[in-house]
Amino acid sequence: MPVLVPEPHDPVCFRKDGKRLDGRDVDEPRPFSCEVGVIKNAQGSSVVRHGGNLICCAVYGPREVHPRHLAKPDRGILRVYYRMATFSVHDRKSPAPNRRDNEISKVIREAIEPVLFLEAYPDSQIEVFIQIMAADGGTRCASTTAASLALADAGIPMRSMIVGIAAGKAQDKVILDLGDKEDKVGQADVPAVVVMKDKTISLLQFDGEMSIEEMKLGFKYILKGAEVIYQKQLEALKGKYEAIQLQAQKESEEYQKMVPKLTQEKPLPPSDTVVSEKIGEIKVNNDEEVQKPTKELKKEHKKETKKGTKKPTKKDIKKETKKVTKKKTEEIAQKINGTIENDPKKENDKGAKSK
Amino acid sequence: MIDVNQVVSSLERNYILKLLKEGKRIDGRDLFELREVKIKTNFSPKAEGSADVFLGDTRVMCGIKYDIGKPYSDNPDKGVCTVMSEYVPIASPMFESGPPREDSIQLARVVDRGIRHTNCLEYHELCVEPGKAVYILFVDCYMMDYFGNLTDAAAIAAIAALLSAKIPGAKWDSEKEEAVWDGTIKPLTIHEIPLSITFGRVGDVIFVDPYLPEELIMDGSIAFAVDEKKQITSIQKYGSATWTVEEIMEISQKAIEISDDLRAKLNLRQYTPKI
Repeated sequence: MPVLVPEPHDPVCFRKDGKRLDGRDVDEPRPFSCEVGVIKNAQGSSVVRHGGNLICCAVYGPREVHPRHLAKPDRGILRVYYRMATFSVHDRKSPAPNRRDNEISKVIREAIEPVLFLEAYPDSQIEVFIQIMAADGGTRCASTTAASLALADAGIPMRSMIVGIAAGKAQDKVILDLGDKEDKVGQADVPAVVVMKDKTISLLQFDGEMSIEEMKLGFKYILKGAEVIYQKQLEALKGKYEAIQLQAQKESEEYQKMVPKLTQEKPLPPSDTVVSEKIGEIKVNNDEEVQKPTKELKKEHKKETKKGTKKPTKKDIKKETKKVTKKKTEEIAQKINGTIENDPKKENDKGAKSK
Repeated sequence: MIDVNQVVSSLERNYILKLLKEGKRIDGRDLFELREVKIKTNFSPKAEGSADVFLGDTRVMCGIKYDIGKPYSDNPDKGVCTVMSEYVPIASPMFESGPPREDSIQLARVVDRGIRHTNCLEYHELCVEPGKAVYILFVDCYMMDYFGNLTDAAAIAAIAALLSAKIPGAKWDSEKEEAVWDGTIKPLTIHEIPLSITFGRVGDVIFVDPYLPEELIMDGSIAFAVDEKKQITSIQKYGSATWTVEEIMEISQKAIEISDDLRAKLNLRQYTPKI
């Protein structure tokens, strides 16, 4: 049985003074506000209020792909879930996703994909969950705006922010950003998503009747409206980090008040520093010269084992090698000293060492 | 952020246990102290009533829709109220999209019983024509952020949304054999406000309102629904812990005290629309 109060379906979309029913001009977007970082469990999240739309979006990932067979070895996959709450529309919607939900999930995914660097995430997935808590026309556009904000909040690299906004036609006038009623009774609807960096279109759908001239005007409105929303997106993202900065500043000030001032740092004693430098140099020399003797050592060791009448046990070999290596290292040390003596540049160092 | 795989490291587990044995909590609360509750009603213009409830960081959004349908044959003159819950994957990396999980169904039924068995809704008022048409109220709870104790948050969200709801009035048109709008929009009659209080348990320690890390390590929990007459109207035991009779009697008393405080603090009647 239907609900008691049906939705109004009169075709009037303009007031007598030429403005729209909610008092907007034809090229004026609806009031827009957004927030990021609202869902603490998610890597990135956003809430968008666009006219009467209320949209929550969360981003999880990059993370492991479930089920595994969907994973691609050369690039990551993006999965978008567009879901409407049962109470977001006039007649209660069934909680299970329907064909419309799945289609919109797909077009939103294809709108986001071109701005992501998915090739940087092989074998993993980025998941974007969009939940419509209240729908008021143009949810797919507002969802894309929300998804873009949430992805940026999650710190996922993007080529550009994207903004969704619709144009359309009602009562033979081209209008921007259709409300629920204008969407239902109007003559045409062009939802579009604009990639803000180069002003290209990454989502485009169209239903209705519009001439080419009207389309041109529609796209002009779309680019203009997208710029307004883009600025709000940037404000929200910057606002979050400004808030963090302020918080950090406050905390550091409080910390400095609590902690007594540190005593002036004493400079390290000069002898120590010299010794440490020298040890480093000697080590470097060691590395260069040790390589040759070790080869010789191995050869000698082999000869010794062949000469021996009894087959030496492993322990014996170890002992012998240890002795040999000791001798060798002593020799090396002598050699090094010799080189240092010969090298006029390092005389100073040697002098310091003898002290 | 908490580890996503429902696994708590033994270090963290031991730390939480140690704190609980000393009577402390990982988020600095007392054992029998609830987290702060924040309520915002009517966030969704398309719903008949709605409430956005924060219990600490746990967040539940609830909306009311109605429909006119046939009554159950055993209650031909009574309306129907069904609670449903959705564990949307937005809320936590542990939740996946798909058909509702066991937990989700259980939670919805616990909240539903809290409302049904308390003298909360006036079911006779929800009847349009006995045996033919009654209101069916849908209370849909969406878990938006999961930081433990969804039951209590959902119970508060459900009752706040019901209190804030405005439903169009109906009359029976005997010629057309259907319910029609009588031109009025009025709030629902709510007699009593049920509240849910959940106790968790780890070993011998019992505490109220489990926080997410506590919920992940706890052995089990018990949810009580308490009405305004200080009566317990519904109990649900979750998890595999066992409780002695003395413990149950003790915490039921505690549940009544805590819910009384909470009810006074929240003053849920303020969300009733004025017409």
